[in-house]
Amino acid sequence: MSHIVEIKTEVRDEVAIGSACRRLKLDPPTRGTVKLFSSEATGVIVNLPGWRYPTVFDTQTGEARYDNYGGHWGKQVQLDRFLQAYAVEKAKREAHLKGHTVTEVSLADGSIKVTVTVGGAA
Amino acid sequence: MMPTIEIVVTPTGQTQVQTKGFTGSECRQASQFIEQALGQRTSEQLTAEFHQQANQSQSHQQHH
Repeated sequence: MSHIVEIKTEVRDEVAIGSACRRLKLDPPTRGTVKLFSSEATGVIVNLPGWRYPTVFDTQTGEARYDNYGGHWGKQVQLDRFLQAYAVEKAKREAHLKGHTVTEVSLADGSIKVTVTVGGAA
Repeated sequence: MMPTIEIVVTPTGQTQVQTKGFTGSECRQASQFIEQALGQRTSEQLTAEFHQQANQSQSHQQHH
């Protein structure tokens, strides 16, 4: 039997954030409060390539706080890449914690497919 | 067929989770940990395989 579920990624796992940063060769994340253009934000701080201000993830809500002025202060594609890396690393981490086997492949359209074999050796 | 969970993450970070090779409602239970860990479910689709195997199971039971 099979079902397909669409998920809106929520960034709530600090370990997976760190893994995503390593995957993308970014500086390690830190936790604290930073000043954005017109406000402050508290959470896990990630510096995306070419962005004027850091991106801050509230791990309670999974939401991202940032100021990139419609792309002028940082390209959206960098945040998208990070979200993709986070989701991949988070999925792999959760599968490994359950003792499942995990493989990963890159697809032609830029998507990444993670296959979890249930009951496989870790 | 070994039961599997496929997670496809698009370049924009949207995620699709698909289960394959499970029996009955196990598919939903099997992927629940991944779905909850990743974020908010926005839609669900039960595949033709889900309904087809459910019908076969009911038909089989009627003969006993």
